Amino acid sequence: MTGGVWLLRRLVASVAIVFAVITFIFILIHLAPGKPCSENLDPRVCTLLTRQFGLDQPIAVQYWRYLVELAHGNLGMSFSLRRPVWDALVETVPFTLQLAGAALVFDFLLGLGLGIYQAARVNRLPDLVLGNATLFIYSLPTFWLAPILLLVFGEKLGWFPVGGASDPIFCPQVDSLYCVADRLWHLVLPATTLGVVGAAGTARFQRAAMLEVASQDYVRTARAKGVPERQIVLRHQLRNALLSFITRFGLAFPFLLTGAVLVETIFAWPGMGRLAFDAILTRDYPVVTASALIASTVVVAGNLLADILLGFADPRLRVHAAADADVVTA
Amino acid sequence: MTLGNWFALLVALVVAAEVVRALRHRALRQERWRRFFRLRTTSWGLGILTFLVLVALAAPLLAPFDPNRQLDIVHLTNRPPSWTFLLGTDPLSRDVWSRLVYGTRVSLGIGALGALVAVALGTLVGALAGYYRRWIDAVLMRGVDVGLALPRIFVLLMAVALWDGLPFAALVVAIGLTSWFGTSRLVRAEVLSLRQRDFVVAARALGAGSSRVIVRHVLPNAAAPIIVSAALGVGNVLLLEAALSFLGIGVPPPDASWGNMIADGMPSIYTAPWSTFFPGLAISLVVMSLNGAADGVRDALDPREAP
Amino acid sequence: MLRRSAFSYYIVLTVATLGACERRGGCTTAGCGTLIDAAVVEPPTLLPPSTEDIVASDIAEQLFLKLADVGMSTNTVGDEDFQPLLAQRWEWDGPLTLVFHIDPRARWQDGQRVTAADVEFTFNAYNDSAVASPFRPKLQRIEKVTQRDSLTAVFRFREKYPEMFYDAVYHMRILPAHLLRSVPREQWRTAPFGRQPVGDGPYRFVRWQAAQSIELVADTTFFLGRPGIRRLIWRFTPSLPVAVQQVIADQADIREQLVTPDNVERAKAAKQLAIYPFRGNVYTFLSFNQRAPGDTSKPHPLFGDRDVRRALTMAVDRASLVKSTLGDLGQVPPGPISALVGIWAPDIRQLPYDTAQAARLLSLHGWRDHDGDGIRDKDGQPLAFHILVPSSSGLRKQYARLLQEQFRAIGVRAEIDELEGSVVAQRTGSGNYDTAILSRSNDPSPGSGITQSWTLAGFGGSNFGRYYNPEFERIVQRAISAPKRDQARTLWRYALETINADAPGIFLYALANVGAVHKRVENVQFRPDSWAALLRTWRIPPDRLIDRDRVER
Repeated sequence: MTGGVWLLRRLVASVAIVFAVITFIFILIHLAPGKPCSENLDPRVCTLLTRQFGLDQPIAVQYWRYLVELAHGNLGMSFSLRRPVWDALVETVPFTLQLAGAALVFDFLLGLGLGIYQAARVNRLPDLVLGNATLFIYSLPTFWLAPILLLVFGEKLGWFPVGGASDPIFCPQVDSLYCVADRLWHLVLPATTLGVVGAAGTARFQRAAMLEVASQDYVRTARAKGVPERQIVLRHQLRNALLSFITRFGLAFPFLLTGAVLVETIFAWPGMGRLAFDAILTRDYPVVTASALIASTVVVAGNLLADILLGFADPRLRVHAAADADVVTA
Repeated sequence: MTLGNWFALLVALVVAAEVVRALRHRALRQERWRRFFRLRTTSWGLGILTFLVLVALAAPLLAPFDPNRQLDIVHLTNRPPSWTFLLGTDPLSRDVWSRLVYGTRVSLGIGALGALVAVALGTLVGALAGYYRRWIDAVLMRGVDVGLALPRIFVLLMAVALWDGLPFAALVVAIGLTSWFGTSRLVRAEVLSLRQRDFVVAARALGAGSSRVIVRHVLPNAAAPIIVSAALGVGNVLLLEAALSFLGIGVPPPDASWGNMIADGMPSIYTAPWSTFFPGLAISLVVMSLNGAADGVRDALDPREAP
Repeated sequence: MLRRSAFSYYIVLTVATLGACERRGGCTTAGCGTLIDAAVVEPPTLLPPSTEDIVASDIAEQLFLKLADVGMSTNTVGDEDFQPLLAQRWEWDGPLTLVFHIDPRARWQDGQRVTAADVEFTFNAYNDSAVASPFRPKLQRIEKVTQRDSLTAVFRFREKYPEMFYDAVYHMRILPAHLLRSVPREQWRTAPFGRQPVGDGPYRFVRWQAAQSIELVADTTFFLGRPGIRRLIWRFTPSLPVAVQQVIADQADIREQLVTPDNVERAKAAKQLAIYPFRGNVYTFLSFNQRAPGDTSKPHPLFGDRDVRRALTMAVDRASLVKSTLGDLGQVPPGPISALVGIWAPDIRQLPYDTAQAARLLSLHGWRDHDGDGIRDKDGQPLAFHILVPSSSGLRKQYARLLQEQFRAIGVRAEIDELEGSVVAQRTGSGNYDTAILSRSNDPSPGSGITQSWTLAGFGGSNFGRYYNPEFERIVQRAISAPKRDQARTLWRYALETINADAPGIFLYALANVGAVHKRVENVQFRPDSWAALLRTWRIPPDRLIDRDRVER
């Protein structure tokens, strides 16, 4: 099929997926017993809120109303945060994307680096030591690693800030180059915590991929022809590495968005994960549904983008790629 | 730790080592077993897993104290490791070693149950999608896409938050219900390639019904990705349970699980790190061992894989 | 690999250079200074009547003025120990009428003068059920507030009692009528004013970065004196240990509550911190719901029985629990009060720790272990219940586990439900619980707190367990109206002994507050009922300014 038709089909499918996600969340919320009137002890206020948000209507009516509001761009009012949902969410999205992006970059660079290094010294001591080390790190719970990083690099050595997303005095907003650097500085520890597990997985994967490619005929030929090792690595293996990484990161995306709750809590990073988590626990339905909506949209868009990139880069991969079950997403 | 405990511990270690040794003997004679043990990590992984299963089974013999007993809340909280308390005590003056031992039962059980549900469901969906193809495949795989678009912690939190008094077993099943998507894709890919093979075509020609073909012929040959998924799935479930405990919705007190031991010990992590270090180490060890074992299974059953 | 290290080198170099450039600020005199408070929970709103949140109150303390406030002695009887704030002076015009004269220098931050109309408007708002202010019950005995002229506000009371002045001034922060009149009362909860407040206090609101920080800057023209510290920033870190770490690592200046002995030890070891203990104003208790969960017309199957409650209270070794979790930083309270309240006396009669008597009492009422499973039962029902705990409090979670074990020792099974704070508030508020570990913060006066939480007036309000003893109420009423201090003390003692005997809850601990503040700050005074009340008097001498103090913005 041609590129255009394929793209259209994928777009329609993506929209359908997002729609399905919202419906699922909606049903899940309303299956459960209990009222959303969280803080107010005064029953009169509770009735007021119920009437305002139409919480006493049957589910179908509420669902329809929600969709109608959504079409108008109105995501509702958050009970617990006492402000419009859109305002609360939109502020968290840049932070979440920065953290996810940084984690992915860290994951890719460290993982690739380790993988190449290990493959170059395959089965010798550095390879074995690193192999076991990456396996160990790959198996660590992230919230176990976080306090250790904070203690060593934040408190004792003082190289990085102890939590927070920016310096509250000098950079409450990112409005200068200095503040960009400040944000990056604050990103290091949380992105490392989030990305290091992925990096270990990437390293293992890349090592295997490197070894497989290295034994292939065309690489052997190039080597025999006297092409410098560096060039071989760059031209063939790097490209493959990038492609396989793109294939795999689509799976990591959902976790990086709302599953990074633990990292966001410990490092006081004001991302979407924490927002969604608090909203779930306080049964703040508008925020929960909106988070699910935005998260799934980003995930689906990310996957679509990944597939498009792959499609351009390697026509052979233009099939729905099989997932790599190695990715640990907890 | 009494002499009896030490003896039981020694016995468990020795038995685990012997089991691995016995299996390695098989490697001398059978090709498959030789491939299984190709990597050193697989032997270690298998050994550690066997040891932990034995620990879980023999918990009362290995634990000197009742894991839930608060021994002396005024004087024995956060004691460092010593001869009496092998791994120290936690902030509630409970023996960390005893809790770790009994926690093995809980954690491994949770891991096994969760992975079982996940693998069963994933295999079912993947096999159906791969075998029947066309619209069944399309519908099921779209469903998988939806499932993959939402992070598991999100859905699990919602289940817990919305159902007051959800029993923990139900939560474990829920973990399984949210973890099968990757497996289904793998199984589907495997089944897709297998259904063209001669023995399947022959079976169909001989008039075997679809379900019979799937169960008797296709699935056994698709065993590699299924077993590997199961092994890695247990690790995933363990890490997820630890995360849920940290968020306050894991195994309810006073029972110990590795996850809630870490959560309980968190406030004292800088002054008494042993109560979080050892359960964290245990989780890492299990996940590492499962990865090692999975590598071995992959090598044994699927020789096409890269070195 | 080389590429990656060059990349990070570049970042570090950039930060270092730019850091060296921008950090040298210009403010070098007195009246400079930036203090960062490592706070944990972000407040929902900064509109005073709409929230009881403590951090909101601390911030509102800097933004809005009360008419007058208690002094360091926190004496709430009469009016001699009160400090004038918005009200320059006052007098009594008859036994039930109080007249305040507003300071003509007071200004809202948009330039308008503060008038008596604001005072009248504020009282009406606090009293309006559409606003649903948690402070409303405390103002019940004030009949109305009127303005005699633009600078004179008149309070009229329904009855005469010793703490009339306290009630008139302590609970309300005066609000700008001209800015809030147009906001419909039922929308005050979510009003944008709550996220961008305009006040008349020593500090002005600058910005609120959601989930990150709230910044205030000093109003140099404040009529009661320019604040010593130029800038105050509350920074929100959801994890208490990390917040403490920020202060220890010198990335924050104030941590007003260290809570655990571990944190106090670590703070003491930090060279740049000074430790300030001050009387705590919080007590924590296990509340017994005396009505059936979900149906307040029927008694609770277990806790409706006074002897069961007494037995459970006697089964808990409260002193050891405090020792175990808090060491010296807490005490067992002799009733539902904190150390702040003057009626605290260690010899007030309480139920003793006596597991034998507890067991006997339970057996006497038919609760015996008939089926040998280690848990007592009666008519086939086990003696089991749930303990609700807010998941945000590590200390209370630890207490829940300790209590679970203490109850198990006498054959009672308790299950712990850790739920989000607002969900706990909802369940307890609607009476849908068995027991819950709750904290109350005391006003300096015992009267309003005890009435709210333990009498009929608190039904549907803070008296979640619906404890009602007419004898207790009579004594409390007499104690509140007692004209002399000694009479009041004796009556309060009697009241506390009565409530202790009824055991509507197990009074677990009263926290002793220990705060940590950076050493460079001078004149640090923590008023026991509100640590931030005197923030405007703190100073940093010019020779002790550090980098973050010097920023010129």
